[in-house]
Amino acid sequence: MRDLFTEIWESVRRNKLRTCLTGFAVSWGIFMLIVLLGAGNGLMNSFMQGGGDFASNSVSVGGGWTSKPYDGLKSGRRITLDDTDVSLTASEQFLDHVDKVSATVGANATISYGKKYFSGYIDGQYPAVQEMSKVEILHGRFLNDKDIDLSRKVVVMPESTAEKLLDNGQSPATLIGKYVKVGGLAFRVVGISKSERMRNDNNLYAPFTTVKTVYGKGKDVGSISFTTKGLNTKADNEAFEKQYKSVINLHHRAAPDDERAIWVWNRAEQDVQMKQGRSILSTALWIIGLFTLLGGIVGVSNIMLITVKERTHEFGIRKAIGASPWAVTKLIISESVCITAFFGYIGMFLGMLTCTLLDKTLGQAKMSLMDQQIAMLVDPGVGLDVAIEATLVLIIAGTLAGLFPARKAAGVRPIEALRAE
Amino acid sequence: MLIELKDVNKTYNNGQPLHVLKGINLSIDKGEFVSIMGASGSGKSTLLNIIGILDNYDTGEYYIDGRLIKGLSEKQAADYRNRLIGFIFQSFNLIGFKTAVENVELPLFYQGVSRSRRHALAMDYLDRLGLADWAGHYPNEMSGGQKQRVAIARALITNPKIILADEPTGALDSKTSEEVMQLLGKLNREEGVTIIVVTHESGVANCTDKIVHIKDGIIGRIEDNREHRASMFGTDTIMK
Repeated sequence: MRDLFTEIWESVRRNKLRTCLTGFAVSWGIFMLIVLLGAGNGLMNSFMQGGGDFASNSVSVGGGWTSKPYDGLKSGRRITLDDTDVSLTASEQFLDHVDKVSATVGANATISYGKKYFSGYIDGQYPAVQEMSKVEILHGRFLNDKDIDLSRKVVVMPESTAEKLLDNGQSPATLIGKYVKVGGLAFRVVGISKSERMRNDNNLYAPFTTVKTVYGKGKDVGSISFTTKGLNTKADNEAFEKQYKSVINLHHRAAPDDERAIWVWNRAEQDVQMKQGRSILSTALWIIGLFTLLGGIVGVSNIMLITVKERTHEFGIRKAIGASPWAVTKLIISESVCITAFFGYIGMFLGMLTCTLLDKTLGQAKMSLMDQQIAMLVDPGVGLDVAIEATLVLIIAGTLAGLFPARKAAGVRPIEALRAE
Repeated sequence: MLIELKDVNKTYNNGQPLHVLKGINLSIDKGEFVSIMGASGSGKSTLLNIIGILDNYDTGEYYIDGRLIKGLSEKQAADYRNRLIGFIFQSFNLIGFKTAVENVELPLFYQGVSRSRRHALAMDYLDRLGLADWAGHYPNEMSGGQKQRVAIARALITNPKIILADEPTGALDSKTSEEVMQLLGKLNREEGVTIIVVTHESGVANCTDKIVHIKDGIIGRIEDNREHRASMFGTDTIMK
């Protein structure tokens, strides 16, 4: 191994400028590949973050309008979900695919604390919503099962909402344990959550049972959400949705195949689409990057050809004193791989540096879209997997670049050695 | 017999077919010091290529130490060249970017000998040829005679059965030429190395014990030259 590297170093040392110029093209190719993939990842991360506030296996269900006459009832009827739907969802027939079930019921209310007030929405939820909606608690705690069982009058509010109720400079944490008025009733603040981009800031979480009792909703439920399990393919998801809809529809005396009687928003399907989009983008970027790299590879192949031509006599001598064709082939291919890998890694390093730079500059820039701050690039950069893939690409590319010149070198006849220079 | 050629024919087919070797029969025994002499175009270079397994022949048989050398794969041919034959070339053919000792090591490198062992061996051979102090020098820092001695060390290091020298003095002045020839003679006498020298210089041929004359692709006279009186110029020195 050491001998091989010594040979390669001896050869490269004699052609520094030529090697560096060609190496630059390889560096450039890999640099472009890494930066493109990094920026692409940043872009996709930014999209993902937009929809990332919900667990990817969560499903939300809401009432709709029937679109077909069924069982003697005309179409266009309003369907409102109720307690039975919740228990149906949690029932044995869906046991295989439904994990945690949560329901919501909500009402508009004026929320006030001291002299400050705003008009908000009180969202009756189960503790399971924390996982489904990825609610992050900053201070205090989230709703728990006890709150549900005892119908406690407690609320969890987002940080930004808390700030509306407080004087400037006061920490939202000071609200914990205090009572705020929600439509005339006092609710104790038990937790402050992180503000979410996809949720209305004026939403307060309260126990489902409390809101239902206080606001006299009877059996009605605003929406049902649940997490799924064991649905791995698109077909699985579709089959499950179809079955689920038919069960709930029948409960409301709507046609089992009525698509609009209830609406079902399945994050898993969106997730599949998102992943597809991501893979298409990354494939496209790989192709562009590889074609850029191709220029460099052709360059390496070219200088290797020139090297072989220059060293014909030397290879003749080597073969005369006993070098096998494979020994010569190995020498040239290794040299090619070394040049490609060395300059490739320089390009990769610079590319990753640029990605970090992008993160520091563009990554911090926010775009304002519909009142929301969206980062253009989130965590641009490539992972270890891409670095390993790129290494493989470099080695394969180096081998390919060296293959033709190496064959030429191996084909040098040992009689060349006898030819006087 | 160490080397045996039986009715070896070789034709080059570059446009006009050229019948270069027309039935060569030649036997060289172990420990002989032979020169093959002929004018340019006589076929002596082709014969040398065939003896050195650098080129193929068309018909006939060629044995080294009883082994038939025919239709070898490139790998096999390379291996035989490496183990059986040591080459000394007219233009030395040292690799310019390698030091003297690295050049000498090279045949052992292709045998897969370990780094330290081949270095020690190469130093040993350089020392025997009086070049130990020059081991770290590059060929372009050495005189022609020194370069040829490095090349001889390289040829000897694998302990080959045959040393094949192609115009070994072609690029040297008369004094150095004589030194080189004396060195080869000494190796032959003292170590029993079989040496075949291809030359067109009668003075060089005169240093050897047997002179094989080749003309127009046919072996002519084979002279016994143990008295070294074949050339009237050869008695004292090599004329240039």
